[in-house]
Amino acid sequence: MRVFWTLLKKELRAFFVSPVAYIVLALVMVLGGVSFKAALSVLESAPSEGSIVTWTFHAQWFWLSYFFVFPLLTMRLFAEEKKLGTLETLFTAPVRAWQVVGAKFTAAMVLYAVIWLPSLGNFWLLDWITGGKVEIPVGALRGSYLILFAMGVFNLAMGCFASSLTSNQIVAAVISFTMSVLHFLLGVFALVVGRRLPESMVEAVHYVASVEHIRLFTQGLIDTRPLIYYASLTLLFLTLTHQVVEFRRWKL
Amino acid sequence: MIHVHELTKQYAGRTAVDRLSFDVEAGEIVGFLGPNGAGKSTTMRILSGYMPPTSGMAMVDGHDVFRESLEVRRKVGYMPEMAPLYHDMRVKEYLHFRAELKGLRGRDLRHRTGEVMELCAVTDVRRRVIANLSKGFKQRVALADALIHRPKLLILDEPTNGLDPTQIRGVRELLRSLREQHTILLSTHILHEVEQTCDRVIMIHEGKIQACDTPRNLTRSLRATSLVHVELQSATDVAKELEALPGVRKVMTSKTDKGWRAYALRVESQTDIRESVLDLATAKGWRIRELHRQLPTLEDVFVELAAADSGARPFG
Repeated sequence: MRVFWTLLKKELRAFFVSPVAYIVLALVMVLGGVSFKAALSVLESAPSEGSIVTWTFHAQWFWLSYFFVFPLLTMRLFAEEKKLGTLETLFTAPVRAWQVVGAKFTAAMVLYAVIWLPSLGNFWLLDWITGGKVEIPVGALRGSYLILFAMGVFNLAMGCFASSLTSNQIVAAVISFTMSVLHFLLGVFALVVGRRLPESMVEAVHYVASVEHIRLFTQGLIDTRPLIYYASLTLLFLTLTHQVVEFRRWKL
Repeated sequence: MIHVHELTKQYAGRTAVDRLSFDVEAGEIVGFLGPNGAGKSTTMRILSGYMPPTSGMAMVDGHDVFRESLEVRRKVGYMPEMAPLYHDMRVKEYLHFRAELKGLRGRDLRHRTGEVMELCAVTDVRRRVIANLSKGFKQRVALADALIHRPKLLILDEPTNGLDPTQIRGVRELLRSLREQHTILLSTHILHEVEQTCDRVIMIHEGKIQACDTPRNLTRSLRATSLVHVELQSATDVAKELEALPGVRKVMTSKTDKGWRAYALRVESQTDIRESVLDLATAKGWRIRELHRQLPTLEDVFVELAAADSGARPFG
């Protein structure tokens, strides 16, 4: 466990020493602000069903920031070490592969959680300025951040995997971005054609559609199925990453 | 300390290491010598637990490098070729990180970090960012890292690669001073280096062991001949007379000026003809101003071994 902490500390430090953490933070804060403003405009223009929370997480701006975050956070993790050759020093120290994969993934996860925190401030600020006149549903807020975290963790695991495949950070970023977008489109595409599909298939489609998950959770509807779905995919991709990292040891 | 038996490593159809067997005793400094691509690095990577052999086995201090990889890694201090380091870290910070990874804690960690920094002469740059260090410093930081957990066995891949002559001497002295506590296996393609540092040399070429002996024995057992340089003053060319001496194979006249003639005599190995040259000169009344023997270097052995492999014989 100590080895894990040592590695985690080093990974977190690497994030904050390089400009990456600050760039991502700035990007997410700006786009988060724009999304929030967009949501306010919607509510201002006409009476609406959704709450401020729902509309914030449905703005295009939100999705824009969402897809850029994962490649930026994960591309460095393994690719850089491969390029520098430090993977060799790392794995000739008494560390296990799962400790390395775990520490790198956890560091990315911590940073991911940190970058979304400031966006909570928007809601708090609105509440403070209007003196509590605008209703901010707490349940919806909880649901939104929960699904945001679950989806993020899954995308980060995909990013880790992408980074373990190559020694080029740009390639890692492109692979990670592509996988995230493809997964998202899978859901959207299915929802669009969904009307012409049989009932059972529509249900299956809902199961993988991130847009659908967001829609439910931002209304405060916490469903365990998407959570389990993202958790299992996360585990799958972390296992794959572990296999790639360990491949060297089994390649005879 | 090291026991290697029939070790083989194949990469996608290419055999990098071919049924290698050797042993290294505790306290020895052994040099791995061979041209680039001979399989030195591969063998060292296997010994340090980085990757498994295709077949055969390797043990470090009684532990199998594959089955008890973690145990082996605790006992081995490995410095890879080119000394890879985290460029964004500071020297002291990096060594702290590595020491912690290798299981050092608390006061021992701080003490030992200071100790290896002193030993490798990087104390002065401990606050500098590694990316900005010169090659020599980077190399020494990597060496400090290899030493930090007091490993029984040090495996150094090209430890003097890219250093200037003063730095090379520094590393050599450091290695000699470390021999009390560590067994050392180092690789190099510079022959001079093993001659100066190692108790034993393992020559490896195309994945196979070519020779394994002390540097002295290797040069001695060599078929290669040694050279004797003579510079003398005589009225006429005396090459014929010198060639008649027992043990001389060939005489080469290298230069003459103002009555002084320089000859290089190729003599059979393990013969010393300096005295007979002097006796001859006294008898003939030649004046001598130079007479010295040039022993074959490991380089000669190496060239010879490599050439023998391809069928050519460089020395007559």
